[in-house]
Amino acid sequence: MKITLNGADAQVDSPPLTPLLHVLREELGVLSAKAGCENGGCGACTVLIDGSPRRACLTAAIAADGSEVTTVEGLGTPEALSPVQKAFVHFCAAQCGFCTPGMVIAATAYLDKGGSGSREEITEALAGHVCRCTGYLKIVDAVAAAREGDFDMSVAAESPHTQVRA
Amino acid sequence: MKAVGARLPRYDGVGHATGRTAFVDDIRAHGTLWAKALRSPHDYATITRLDTTAAENMPGVRAVITHADVPLLEYGHLSALGIPADEPLLAKDEVRYKGQPIALVAAETTEQAADAVAAIEVDFAPKTPLFDVRKAFDADVSQPHHWGTVYPHFEESMDRRQIRKGSIEKAFDDADKIISGVYRPAAIEQMPIETQVCLSVPEPDGRFTIYSCTQALYFSMGVVAAHMQIPLNRLKFVGGTVGGGFGGKVDTATETVCTLLAQRSGRPVKWRWTREEEFLCSSTRAPWHMEIIDAVTDDGWILGRKMLTLHDAGAYARFSPYGVTKHSFHHTGAYTIPNLHFDGYVVFTNRVPTTAMRGYGVTSVSFAVESHMSRVAEELGIDPFELRLKNANRIGDTSPNGIAYTDPSTVDVLHAISEATGNELAPGYAAASRQRRAGEWLPDHLLAQISDTEVH
Repeated sequence: MKITLNGADAQVDSPPLTPLLHVLREELGVLSAKAGCENGGCGACTVLIDGSPRRACLTAAIAADGSEVTTVEGLGTPEALSPVQKAFVHFCAAQCGFCTPGMVIAATAYLDKGGSGSREEITEALAGHVCRCTGYLKIVDAVAAAREGDFDMSVAAESPHTQVRA
Repeated sequence: MKAVGARLPRYDGVGHATGRTAFVDDIRAHGTLWAKALRSPHDYATITRLDTTAAENMPGVRAVITHADVPLLEYGHLSALGIPADEPLLAKDEVRYKGQPIALVAAETTEQAADAVAAIEVDFAPKTPLFDVRKAFDADVSQPHHWGTVYPHFEESMDRRQIRKGSIEKAFDDADKIISGVYRPAAIEQMPIETQVCLSVPEPDGRFTIYSCTQALYFSMGVVAAHMQIPLNRLKFVGGTVGGGFGGKVDTATETVCTLLAQRSGRPVKWRWTREEEFLCSSTRAPWHMEIIDAVTDDGWILGRKMLTLHDAGAYARFSPYGVTKHSFHHTGAYTIPNLHFDGYVVFTNRVPTTAMRGYGVTSVSFAVESHMSRVAEELGIDPFELRLKNANRIGDTSPNGIAYTDPSTVDVLHAISEATGNELAPGYAAASRQRRAGEWLPDHLLAQISDTEVH
């Protein structure tokens, strides 16, 4: 099997029914997709397959044969963050960080498909992703703001949900 | 001090958003073996047979350990404080909760490890388990724990955490009404998205490098060294990147067995729990049973409180006595009650052992106290804000354990909630402050409890 992984050709030698998550992590050494439940419940393993968000833990390797697979490593680098990655940093949308790669992937797919940025739509788009730390508000803030683009990355954003009493 | 009050970007935000952050499961060590556990399928049973011979000869298996392979089998989470241990690292003669580990296998693949676990020959004689903390406290039930119903090692070998303050008899004599309630919050799984995971790497110099998701690194280091009976300088712990903990990664769950397997096999060993194991076998927040009886006046003063707390430790003590101690200090909540009679017990059941979760021991009592305050207000026909403001902690008031409050925020918080919810307070209550009690805020029953400690 062959996939295009973050823009580069990759040969896959695992058995065809091996979960794609296992192929990425144990065969190809791409570690951003996380094994949170391996049951399709938490969303931490989400990757893009031909532009659509998919659970890597429930996707057989053979189902991705010939496809383009994108993980957060393929969206941007610390030196050149993608708009969604920038927004997650700026809005402190990542706390422990374990769910973050899956969240960033799902948010990227949502915005790439012309998502409006309304809170209801973003909430729906991220509904399959469990975050135990943040309470989601800052994640939704980040995705909404990612459509607008640029931030001053030297400071964290004022949260619209935190009123600092004088 | 440039950072204080400034809005700083998270130091780890870029790593998280780009997938560069290395969690324990992302550490790679050449030749890593995978661990799997044989866990108890019973809530409570005697182990009548345990034979790992067949499992040891399965393909890919490099190490199998049972209780017989642990140099110091029992080491309690509070052993460092001189408290006797009660929990074996691996079950020996009996299992006291479903999911309790009995044996561990390290093999070349997870599948081989799982196959070997299935090949371990083990028989049980099931016993009747005990799940309810209140029923477990009854004198006539058969107790699962060798210490009996309750943890017996509080100070001076007391069987409870006890607080006595003021005169509870006088408070109840003087009361207009006695208002009681029972509050029973259930267990909660902390549920980090990263399950329990450890990678232990044997080094050529005889040391072990242990990659751990623990929330309590130095504590885990002591636990591993004690069970293995080796000096601390043979353990190098690498931690700090935790994929969510919430208290559920305070107990040392994986590091000791991983390191024993690494020692035995001479290979790095990783043990990553499945989500199912995380839900069924990892420690939870405790179920609690709390009974509150308040002596109150018709105009809303709480003169005294009697409280019985039963904290469900599950099958073993772990940190439960600590949780009950914190609980006892907070059993009046954000309010001042001068006459107290509190008994808090750590009770054993056949549930999974319980531990910290976001305010260990305190969230339970906050739930009970706030529920009870609303009950008192309703039964007296008093506005619930006013009842709370009246009894709210103020500067100079003293806590159940006699600490003088120097800057309590109760009044301010109540004012903020009142404002946020559009609640109209009567002028006298709107003018309340955190300052020391005086005038109508200082009825006779509160005089004696006030500390004259200088505040700062």
